[in-house]
Amino acid sequence: MVVRLLLGLIFVLVAFAVVRALAPARAALAGIVLGAGAVVLVALNRQAITSVEFWAGLCGFAAILSALLIVIHPNPMVSVLFLIVNLFSVALFYLILNAQFLAAIQVIVYAGAIMVLFLFVVMLLNLKAEEGLRGGGGPQRYGAVVLGGLFAGLMFHALRNRGPRPYFEPGSFDSGFGTARELGRLLFTRYLFAFEAASLLLIAAMIGAVILAKRRIR
Amino acid sequence: MRVEFFLLVAALLFTIGCVGVLVRRNAIVILMCIELMLNAVNLTFAAFAHESQSMAGHVFVFFVMTVAAAEAAVGLAIVIALFRRRRTTDVDDASLMRW
Amino acid sequence: MDPTVTRVLAEASVKIALFFGVVLTVIAYMTWVERRVSAWIQDRRGPNRVGPFGLLQPLADGIKFLFKEAITPPHVYRPVYLLAPALIFIPALVTFSVVPIGPTMSLFGRRIPLLIADVDNGILIILAFASMGVYGVALAGWSSNNKYSLMGGLRSSAQLISYELAMGIAIVGVLMATGSLRLTDIVTHQITNGWNALWQLPGFLIFVTAAFAETNRLPFDLPEAETELVAGYHTEYSGMRFSMFYMAEYANMITASALATTLYLGGYHVPGLAALGLPENAAAIVQVLAFCLKVAMFLFVFVWVRWTLPRFRYDQLMNLGWKGLLPIALAHVLWVSFLVLGGRA
Repeated sequence: MVVRLLLGLIFVLVAFAVVRALAPARAALAGIVLGAGAVVLVALNRQAITSVEFWAGLCGFAAILSALLIVIHPNPMVSVLFLIVNLFSVALFYLILNAQFLAAIQVIVYAGAIMVLFLFVVMLLNLKAEEGLRGGGGPQRYGAVVLGGLFAGLMFHALRNRGPRPYFEPGSFDSGFGTARELGRLLFTRYLFAFEAASLLLIAAMIGAVILAKRRIR
Repeated sequence: MRVEFFLLVAALLFTIGCVGVLVRRNAIVILMCIELMLNAVNLTFAAFAHESQSMAGHVFVFFVMTVAAAEAAVGLAIVIALFRRRRTTDVDDASLMRW
Repeated sequence: MDPTVTRVLAEASVKIALFFGVVLTVIAYMTWVERRVSAWIQDRRGPNRVGPFGLLQPLADGIKFLFKEAITPPHVYRPVYLLAPALIFIPALVTFSVVPIGPTMSLFGRRIPLLIADVDNGILIILAFASMGVYGVALAGWSSNNKYSLMGGLRSSAQLISYELAMGIAIVGVLMATGSLRLTDIVTHQITNGWNALWQLPGFLIFVTAAFAETNRLPFDLPEAETELVAGYHTEYSGMRFSMFYMAEYANMITASALATTLYLGGYHVPGLAALGLPENAAAIVQVLAFCLKVAMFLFVFVWVRWTLPRFRYDQLMNLGWKGLLPIALAHVLWVSFLVLGGRA
């Protein structure tokens, strides 16, 4: 069932990308295609609506759709917004995978701090939508799309030929897994050196950012 | 729920990010696509951590987030410096080594 | 469906409806309180025509806002322009769902905890949603496509990030003392060990200052400074959309007050209540009332400060955040960690 869901998802996304590329001004048309795809998906798996698989599939749908829009959309600000949507869907995946602390810091660090920085820079530079997204473009552009397709195929192949693994029930694990307490214990015992090194990295990045963005160094 | 599902989504996200880095010429969007790729890798780590019931994967995600934060700060500072000099954020215009 | 699932769902929906009904009413009446208190401070009368003491004024305002034409200026970026008011309003309300307003009550033969979601990572969820609040303001400023709005949005994103840092570090002191991220644990810890505000006074003051900045209230209301930026990020909004911003400000105030109460003033704790020997439900009601009283006190301080202090200059704001509050917060964390090591908590 998961495979069917995923295949439907990929089909709808490809249809969406094609519609957007052919008729860039008609966002509504792309929306209709998407909505029809979603209705068909739900009709195909009517019992699935109460299962975790369905909601995980919806999350994956949101994640991949927003990722596509980051790349496709000509306006950098809209890309920032869709990256935020993407980060939220990945945070939901973390919740499904029982990594509640990771989900929380994903929202705080990524969506709350890093993306605000991006938003701030886009607003500060007052970037407008680019013209050259579709026209122009060298061979690199088409080559990238082809190679990306090949890369995705390679990953798909690797996943298909992975050894059989047990089916797991989401959210049915011992209580300690994924909590801040356990992660903190690991960070301050086994990975203490890496943790301290990370703090050094952060301070280096901080000083570097200040010096780079400073108007003039005296 | 099979772990393959998460791996597949992560693989697709990584590919989209990778293509985005190559296709887009706006430095900020390229940085965002790099964040997307890092996220895909994080998702893989979390999925494997769950499958093997070991928190080590979570520790890696934690460090990747730290690196991502540092990378975003320095990267955006470079973009701002570039914009000050050349009034553009297009990476194709930043091909000269001087000024 | 499974009967227990149905019951849990019903319980949760009733709680959500009650909580948000109360919060929305308080938001409406805060506008009235603000105007009456400001009038009192400035030796005026304030709204006193609609109903006794002007008590029906919020209703009249609401009707006025609803019937005003919601103009969408032609130069805005429409999808984001329409999204921004919701983005600023929702996080403020959602944050409230992890705040415990009282102990457990026994109703209809069930034990009902008086909060919507008792999550393991309560504090982290609060920080996460607090950091979401910036998007509403920044995007409203950007999508309005107007230089004043853009500057308001820029200011607010810089301001919120810098004060969030100080706020988060101040909260770390509370976390270290409690050893848990769960808000109910923080309250019960304060019940047995004394209120955090008593021995973490610097942290408490930093938290309250940062809360003023996070809610965009005077003296930190630079994103909407009307004398320099017209009205900042909501210049281009009118009608009900404008009132969403207005309501979000009060929702943020209420949430910030509830958080300050929970983290530092013992939450719903009333000293000496256990000695009275009240029945459980009566004690719970007294404690809920005590919680409301503490929150009301904070809300009054918010209004009081607004009509007392003038606005900061932008560089003063940044200096206070980065050179004042942040080092003090760090020193405070160090101090608290010594106390915790020495067995204070």
